[in-house]
Parts: sequence; C-alpha cells; structure tokens
Amino acid sequence: MTSVTIKDVWKYYGKTMAVKELNIEVRDNEFLCLLGPSGCGKSSTLRMLAGLEFISSGEVFFGDLKVNDIPPRDRDIAMVFENYALYPHKTVFENMANPLKLQRMNKTDIKERVVWAAQMLEIEELLQRKPVELSGGQKQRTAIGRAIVREPKVFLFDEPIAHLDAKLRSHMRGELKHLQRRLETTTVYVTHDQLEGMTMADRIAVMHEGVLQQLGTPGEIYNHPVNEFVAGFVGEPPMNFLDCRIEGAGDSASLVYDNMNLALGGEQSRILETKGAAREVRLGIRPDDLTIEMGTDHGLELSAKIFVTEPLGGDMLIEADFGQDRMTIKRKIAELGQPGDACGIAVNSEKLHVFDRDTGEAFF
Amino acid sequence: MASREIVRYKSPARTAFSVLVILFLIIFFVWTVLPLAIMLTSSFKDLLDAFKLPAEGDWGGVGVMFDFKPTGAHYVELFTEKHFGEYMRNSLIASLGSAVVSVFLGSMAAYALSRAEFRGKKDLLFWIISTRMAPVVAVMVPLYVIFRSSGLVGTLPGLILAYTTFNLPFAIWILKGFFDNVPYAIEEAALCDGANRWQALRMIMPLVAPGVGAFIVLCVLFGWNDFLFASIIGSGGAKTLPVATAELVQPVKIQWGSIMAAGVVTTVPMMFLGLLIRRYLVTGLTMGAVRE
Ligand SMILES: Nc1ncnc2c1ncn2[C@@H]1O[C@H](COP(=O)(O)OP(=O)(O)OP(=O)(O)O)[C@@H](O)[C@H]1O
Ligand SMILES: [Mg+2]
Repeated sequence: MTSVTIKDVWKYYGKTMAVKELNIEVRDNEFLCLLGPSGCGKSSTLRMLAGLEFISSGEVFFGDLKVNDIPPRDRDIAMVFENYALYPHKTVFENMANPLKLQRMNKTDIKERVVWAAQMLEIEELLQRKPVELSGGQKQRTAIGRAIVREPKVFLFDEPIAHLDAKLRSHMRGELKHLQRRLETTTVYVTHDQLEGMTMADRIAVMHEGVLQQLGTPGEIYNHPVNEFVAGFVGEPPMNFLDCRIEGAGDSASLVYDNMNLALGGEQSRILETKGAAREVRLGIRPDDLTIEMGTDHGLELSAKIFVTEPLGGDMLIEADFGQDRMTIKRKIAELGQPGDACGIAVNSEKLHVFDRDTGEAFF
Repeated sequence: MASREIVRYKSPARTAFSVLVILFLIIFFVWTVLPLAIMLTSSFKDLLDAFKLPAEGDWGGVGVMFDFKPTGAHYVELFTEKHFGEYMRNSLIASLGSAVVSVFLGSMAAYALSRAEFRGKKDLLFWIISTRMAPVVAVMVPLYVIFRSSGLVGTLPGLILAYTTFNLPFAIWILKGFFDNVPYAIEEAALCDGANRWQALRMIMPLVAPGVGAFIVLCVLFGWNDFLFASIIGSGGAKTLPVATAELVQPVKIQWGSIMAAGVVTTVPMMFLGLLIRRYLVTGLTMGAVRE
C-alpha cells in the first residue's frame, strides 16, 4: 500500500560490490519480481529494503518517505527469509503469531489469523511442532506464514518457495499471487526461477552481477529481451544462440550461417542498418520458434543430426547438432527420432532476435 | 533435519574399549568419592573414633572406620559457638552477588562484541582476556591498597567487586561464544516482525539461557571456593567459609572434627547446586545446540 523507490543504490560488502547503481520504482500494489542468477545481488537489494543492510550509497523511499535511516520495525514490512530464520525455541504457531503479538493483537484474533494462514499453507497439523521437527519445505511454509499473517505496507519475499516440491510450489504460486491481489500489498519477490517471475509478477527486474538488466512486464522481458543475458536467462528451455554473418544491406539483409541463408524482413534489416550492426552478430531463437523435419530430404535450411530427445509428456525437446553448434527444439510431435538420425531445421524468421556479438545488446 | 543420534557399530575393538572405560570409571569413582566419604564420616565422629584406623595393609579391618557412634556435636558447635551461619551467608552473598553482576554485565558486553563489527575489536577482546593472564597473587598487593583506600576492605561489596574483576573477563569471553552460536538471522526476523533491539535480544535470550545459567554456576563456584581474596580483602567484616575453616587450624589444637564438618558444610550446598542444574550445565557448556 505504498510505492517503493530505489534510487541510485549501491551496495558494497567491504570491497565486494553486490549492487551497482540500482534504480527501480515498485508501484503501489505492484508485484515486482527481482530475477537473476545466484549471487547477482537480489537478496542484498531486498535486505536493504527491509532495513537489515546498510545502504552504501543511494536512497530508498517508501512513498515519499526516505527510509534509509528508519529501522525495520518502523518500515511496516513483512519479510520471508531465504534461510527461514525461524525462532528455534518456539512452536510453529508461536512463530507465526509473533508479529501479531508484537502488535498487541488480542489472543482470539491472533489464533484466527494464524489458523487461516496455516490452512492456506497446509501446515495446520504442524502448529504445535518446533522448527527442528520440520522438513525444509515445512519450515519454509512456516516462514511464509509468519509474513502473511500481517497486513504490512510491503511484502518482501526472498525465494519463499524454493524448497517446496513441484506440486506444492505451483499451488503456492497461485496462493501467493491471489493473496497479493486480495490484500493489494506492494510486493517485492526475489527468485532465481524464471518461471516464478513469469507467472506471478506484474513486472520483472532482471539482475546480473549487481546490475539491473531490464525492467518490464513478463511479456516484454520474454518477447523483447534487451540483451543476450536476459534472452538466455528467461524462458525454459533457454534460447538458442548461433553466430551468424549479415549479408546484404538496406531493406534486404539476410543472416548467413553455413549454407543457411535467412532473409530478414524489411523492418528488421533497417533496424540493423540504422543501429550500425557489425557484420558478425549473434542470432537468438527460442526452441518454440524452430521447425523440425525428420529424414534427409526435408528441404529445410539446416541439416542436423539428433543428439538426444527429451519427452516432456505433451511436448518433446529435441537437441540437434549441426557443425559445431547445437540447438534445442520444442515440438508437439509424436514421432521419436533416434540419436544420430538426420533431420532438418527451419527458423521462424519473424520470431528471431539479433544481438551484438561483443556487447550482447539486442538489435531486436 | 538430521537427528543427533550417534550410530554405533559393533566391533571387537569397541568391546575392549568399553571394558577399559568401565575399569577407568571404577578407579576414578573410588579416587573422587573416597576423600568425600572420609570427610563425611569423620565429621560425625568424636575425636577418639576419628583416629581409629585399621593397620596398614589390613583391608579386612576397613570396617573399623565405619564402627562409630554418630554425633552431631561438631555441627552444633560450628553454628552456635563458631558463627558459621554468618560465614555461610557471607559466602553466599559474595559468590552469588558477583556471579549475577558478572553475568549481567558480561552478557551485555558479550552481546555487543558478538554482534557489532568495529575497528580494534580483536584487540579489545584480547585486552579483556589478558586481564586474566596474571595470577591473582601478582595483583593482590596493589588491589589491596586500592580497596583499602576506598574503604572496601572487609566488606561484602568489596568482596563482590573483587570476584567480579576476575569473573567478568571470563564471562565476556564465554558468553560471547554463546551469542556467536545464535544466528543473527533470528534477530533480523524479529526486527522485521516489528520488534525493537531489546525485544529482539529478548527473543534470543532463551537460546543462550542454558549457557548463561551454567556460567552463573561457574562464577558462584569461583567465589564460593576462593580463599585468597576472602582472606585478604574479606578479612575482618566479610569472613567466608573457606577462611573460617582455615582458622579452625590453631597452633595448640587442630579441631579435626570441626574442620571435617566445616568441609561438609562448604561442599554440600555446591553439590546440590550442581545436581539441581546438571541438565542445564551439560546443555549449556556443550552448546553447539543452536543451529540454523
Ligand atoms: N555479508 C556479506 N559479505 C560479503 N559479501 C557478501 C555478503 N552478502 C553477500 N555478499 C556478496 O554479494 C553478492 C550478492 O549477494 P546476494 O546474497 O545479494 O546474492 P543473491 O542474488 O541473493 O544470490 P542467491 O540467489 O544465491 O541468494 C555476492 O557476490 C555475495 O558473495
Ligand atoms: Mg539470495
């Protein structure tokens, strides 16, 4: 129920830089996901929002209020810790009741809230246990419970469902998103799982090595990644990359790889020209945007050999080799190629991305 | 989380080892308990019975030592004529007082030293423990001078202060270890839950409580058993049990019965204390018990 503004924030641990010149505005009631690989500074950012970590430089605002020097208790936040941080000597119930007790809520209300949260988290039977007697996932749910019993201004979640099994995780994704919508609480959600980001967030901030790469809606991030890192990090299975050469100019450029000659559309060609793309570029294409035909007389641009096939139930992942490179193709097919079988691959030229080979910047 | 059960596997070496362990324990038991048993029985004997000993090598005659008419006369004498009640009270106040003061101040300092990072922290820690490196006798004379000029000689507060000087550095070090074992994340969670620093500290107190309790006992033991400070700084107004006992050794007449009774009076309360808090003592001093 407030916006959160991160303005030019840096975080150093001694000489190690964890966060570099970060600028993010989390809008009122927004569900923002901080997404990035391990060690990219997500937790550091979140902990600065919570007030647990000193802000090396820059400012953090909740609404119009600068909170740099405000202690956690006065920020009205609820946080789920990466390492749970449960109170070992208290039962699950007492753990979850603690924030309410500190607010001096009366006993019956506390009980009601805690039981409600426990039901949602499916840990009702565990309320009288101590944290040592819980599995990792149960501890994690207790930690979530401790945060959601309150109605704070800002929710801060640090990989809250990373240790749950797949089914429970998908259940919790839905529950947390629903809860956030219902309470209309500004939420910052840290994860390294791009699926969580894509499914839950209003907007995603992708971070890498302490630097914000891209901030946008899941659709924007997925369809228009600004650089090779974002393109490769978001999407499962990851995007395929292929070093290509640009030939031709003006309105009719084409990408050349081996004996594949991929004609680009007029607009794509013009973008490459105006942005001054070098001849050598990197092509990015998602596994869904590739077509595959089995056999040798397929008539497609690329001839390849199947490396391995991975059935996913409905879909099939096929990894195929050609020359030095390997691509993953996702198809809804029944026919099972065998490793070593010949096949042909075609690229959907409308869906491809082209990146600068040196800087990784996307042209489109 | 893994349980803390230790899995044992049988092997001949293990069996042989456990026999050795039992043998050792028996010898150890006799070694520790025999003096106490002699002290206890002698305290109930009159002077004649006390010196009825079997001839050397005559193991069969051991029974002689237990053949006596018990008398409580020594105890009565201690508490009526010799004012041991008062000395006991002095001992209690001095040792408990210093223990409480040391642990209170010690845990404050230890908490700060455990949680805060600042320049020169290592040096500060070393300085604190270095105050314990000189033997007590080495500082006794200057300490006595200081205490006398402040009018603390022969008073209980003086004795408490003297014990605290020596308990506190130790307390800080040991208690810092206990706090170090409690993950800071627990306090962070409390802070986010809306607790202030004091409430957050209170949140982790139960986790260090066994350690603190155990350490209080160590401090009490130090004060209770101390002779040097008590005889010099406490002399006069604040006589404690060990000093009073020593005074029973007089040039003309060594009062063996009273000495034995005084020994029992001095030992028994601490033994009960030990039994009472045994459970905490063990969990406290082996406290790797708190974990993430
Ligand atoms: N207390 C600390 N002292 C020194 N360096 C730290 C500290 N905490 C984090 N770092 C460093 O800062 C960087 C960012 O850490 P951070 O915990 O924010 O990563 P993260 O994105 O949360 O990673 P993960 O997904 O593994 O949790 C890392 O390089 C890490 O080594
Ligand atoms: Mg993290």
